[in-house]
Amino acid sequence: MSSRDLVLMTAPLREDFTIPCHEIGPAGNPAVSFVSGLHGDEINGIYILARLADFLTAVAGGNYPKLRLAQRVLIIPAVNVLGTNTLRRAWPFDQSDQNRMFPGNRMGETTQRIAYSVLEATKKSAYRVDLHSSNLYFEELPQVRLYDPTPEERETAPLFGLPAIMERSVSPVFTTTLMYAWKYWPGQSFLLQVGQAGSIQLPHCQQVFRGLVSFLGRIGVLEGVEVAEADQEALYFTRECSVRIYADRAGMFVSDKSLGGWVSKGQELGYIYDSFNGTVRTRVIAPAAGLLTGIRRQPMLFEGDLLVRICTRTP
Amino acid sequence: MPESAIAISTSCILSLEMPYSEQLCIRRTAYRGGDGPRAAIVAGIHGDELEGLYVCQLLADWLEQLARENPAGLAGTVELYPAMNPLGLDTLTRAIPVFDTDLNRNFPGSPNGDLPKRIAHAAIENLSGAALVVDIHASNIYLREIPQVRINTDFADSLVPLARRLNLDLIWLHGAMTVLEATVAHSLNSVGTPCLVVEMGVGMRITPDYCRQVMSGILTLWKDQGVLTPDVELPPLDHLPLIADDSNVHYLNAPTSGLFVPVIEHWTDVRKGQLLGTIVSPLQGGILSEVRSPVDGILFTLREYPLVYEGSLMARVMARKGRLA
Ligand SMILES: [Zn+2]
Ligand SMILES: [Zn+2]
Repeated sequence: MSSRDLVLMTAPLREDFTIPCHEIGPAGNPAVSFVSGLHGDEINGIYILARLADFLTAVAGGNYPKLRLAQRVLIIPAVNVLGTNTLRRAWPFDQSDQNRMFPGNRMGETTQRIAYSVLEATKKSAYRVDLHSSNLYFEELPQVRLYDPTPEERETAPLFGLPAIMERSVSPVFTTTLMYAWKYWPGQSFLLQVGQAGSIQLPHCQQVFRGLVSFLGRIGVLEGVEVAEADQEALYFTRECSVRIYADRAGMFVSDKSLGGWVSKGQELGYIYDSFNGTVRTRVIAPAAGLLTGIRRQPMLFEGDLLVRICTRTP
Repeated sequence: MPESAIAISTSCILSLEMPYSEQLCIRRTAYRGGDGPRAAIVAGIHGDELEGLYVCQLLADWLEQLARENPAGLAGTVELYPAMNPLGLDTLTRAIPVFDTDLNRNFPGSPNGDLPKRIAHAAIENLSGAALVVDIHASNIYLREIPQVRINTDFADSLVPLARRLNLDLIWLHGAMTVLEATVAHSLNSVGTPCLVVEMGVGMRITPDYCRQVMSGILTLWKDQGVLTPDVELPPLDHLPLIADDSNVHYLNAPTSGLFVPVIEHWTDVRKGQLLGTIVSPLQGGILSEVRSPVDGILFTLREYPLVYEGSLMARVMARKGRLA
């Protein structure tokens, strides 16, 4: 069996619940750990990791004669199991954010116990990857997020073959996340942002799936992968390269743009309409040339909401 | 016309367009007396907490009466901010709806960010420089708390003497927790505006006795600070706080899931090994687990919402450490 229960807990009125994970490949500590679904409504990561588990299980079973899994891989497609089943971002029992419970506590609150188990299972891996999907409102171009990265992490990030790498510093708000807890352990940690919560954006998922397979190939965990070197030129963006457009008025934001394209300065990106009388309140214009990496999809705007993020080649 | 009068006004400290036709407004009522110090009460940061709203109402009543009977008694200014998260209160949501974020994790905020950042910024702009801010919370819907003030140890020296005059039952000193840096209290204390955080009662309810108790403490502090003149008559202080910190607070987390049924009153003395409640099974009947006190002490947190999952907090017991003189 390649799957086991990471956590087993009682519940008052239903079956005991478990958080299952896949362990695929040769025995030993997992060289790579993949985690997703800390937020139950982030479906892209769950879909990608479930498909990756299927693929790697087939590799380990000899179904791909050219491929060989050289080291063990741990995959947790959804940590927030009940949230995933009820389409909730938070942990349903007490509405807490599972990604604000790290490093956790073996004897603490339910979500702290889960955090503890997830960290224990993953912390010793040489590579650790946590997949997220923005939220219900905003779509993110598939990207690698680095938080106060080490030189090694900077070097590894392009191996995912995703269109963008974004560097951020760790703010106090993040000290209780899985990413932050991982940083206390030797090894490299990455956060992937993929699309928008609540649904699957298939092209993004396909791109990330290919990215994860070539990443496993490039770090030598999956042997025999043919990696096209010029697969994608990853672009490195620091915070200074991020240009954000905020709503100067409330209303409805409507745009026909898709992510991953280059926009020129002055290009029209969408409109803010008055949602009562339908007049155009604002034409949203690109303030700089760059790659369109994030866009708001939930149209109902408060004043000051983030609409669009463009990443420029140079700060 | 009396020789002095209290000017009472309600205004918006932040007004913002909403997506469809409406305007969001964060409201404040100010009572201006003399040129003395300014004090503020903040409540409703969490949309499911109502205890602080009632304290604001009690204080507003009291100030109205003062305006009629002894307007010179207000030497300074009092500001009430009963609903910092109006959309949360409108929708019975703890967080700010739509943004799905805890307002008390967004301080000090920013004038140009999204709604939570703007509310936080407007709050800090208006509260900074006050002689005293009291931020009133009501635990949550899961736990009932005895009236208490929670103080980050970083600010203990300046805040504990104030907290002792607040007519509460407990002062709880907390170690510096980085995640709480984004609270209104931490932001204000960091810029030198003393802010006390009161926790009491339970979410979605009011506990009138607790609210009146806290009101007496607030009025006492206002008098201490010179916001009220020395001649103003106040209700008596009838509570002296115990002190708690990480060394004497014991947490009781549920060893198994089920329905928690307490067999004890909140805020009572307990003996080591004493039965506090049982966890029972609605499916099969019978007792799944007994909940017993780990120490001699006093029960100051008790679960209000009965369904528990493995790990859920059911109670906190404080070992007695002595009463503050
Ligand atoms: Zn997430
Ligand atoms: Zn609160």
